[in-house]
Amino acid sequence: MDWLLILGWIGLFAPTALGAVGSILGCARAGQAACGAMLDLEGGYGRYIGLSALPSSQMIYGIVVMFALQTAATPATPEGGTPLPMTITAANSPGIFVLGVLCGVALMVSAIYQGACCASAISVSKRKPEVFGLSVAPAAIVEGFAVFAFIFALVLSGSIPK
Amino acid sequence: MGRRTYYDLIASLPGLPLRFDVERPPISQHRLNERLQMLEPDDAAVVDQWTNFVHWDRQLLDRTDDDVAHSYQQLISEISNSFLLELIRRRMDTRTIIAAVRRRRAGMSAPTGVGQWIERIQRDYSHPQFQLQTVYPWIGRFDQLVGEGQALEAQRIIFDFNYRELEELAPTDMFSFEALLIYLARWEIIDRWTSLDQAAGKARFETLITETLGEHAHLFEPAE
Repeated sequence: MDWLLILGWIGLFAPTALGAVGSILGCARAGQAACGAMLDLEGGYGRYIGLSALPSSQMIYGIVVMFALQTAATPATPEGGTPLPMTITAANSPGIFVLGVLCGVALMVSAIYQGACCASAISVSKRKPEVFGLSVAPAAIVEGFAVFAFIFALVLSGSIPK
Repeated sequence: MGRRTYYDLIASLPGLPLRFDVERPPISQHRLNERLQMLEPDDAAVVDQWTNFVHWDRQLLDRTDDDVAHSYQQLISEISNSFLLELIRRRMDTRTIIAAVRRRRAGMSAPTGVGQWIERIQRDYSHPQFQLQTVYPWIGRFDQLVGEGQALEAQRIIFDFNYRELEELAPTDMFSFEALLIYLARWEIIDRWTSLDQAAGKARFETLITETLGEHAHLFEPAE
């Protein structure tokens, strides 16, 4: 089997897999902090649980990037013909690998650290409820970088040769 | 193996106040012990070592310097956590300075205590602040308060310094085990202060009662 094609398949699934790993770790960290905060509070649990789910968005971005890469690797349907299946070739494999893996790594790291930001926000706003909105800002900034990686992966996927 | 974190445990602990001299600790000893059950066994053992040190540290009054130095060496030889060793080392440095100030006030020779400053103290024993004023700016004021017999105020200065020093030592990762050790050390200062404050408050209350009621102050005490 051609290694180049294997790399193409790795790149295709990398955004989803790496995004999932990041979301798992990020949500677990923030979720643990939310559970701990519940031990010390009498109410207002909902917003902490909601905050702990914030790192799940990277997983969704990963899925969208995967579909975009799949579309990029699918030849155009001939006029009046049946749709052709996606084909990983020596021509599109390097592009799919680089875009998929790099975008996946960016999503994974952002989800992990966003989870840490959310955990800190939960811990801080538990002690000072009036700073809840402000304490979420670092997590939102981290999310912003994930969105950049996501958007530009989509943009560049249109340049991958068929 | 990476550094262990305790998101659930640390998020479950109430925040500590900015100053240590509050009416009571934000969490009771009993509740704190309950929360510490979330620790992994090896970290729980480190916390036990800290608890043993605190217990030992609170029982030092009746011991000689040599006894303290010997049992201190024995105690730290059993501790492998470097961060805990650093906390204990700092606590003992403070204790050695306190002992030196008190001994000098009592006209005694320099202590044979433990810690990194003992040689400096012995060398500069005649200097008002043992040439340590840049590291421990409180020595002069502490010495003055001890001279005036204001034990509680003198203790307040030490606790204030230790409480702030611990805050500076806190790691950037607020969910790390080291952050938990800092929390426990700061909580212990609050607990110790509130114990002292309660004892002083009780003594003041009893004095007031005696002054107000005179010989009737002990009217309702149980007959012997």
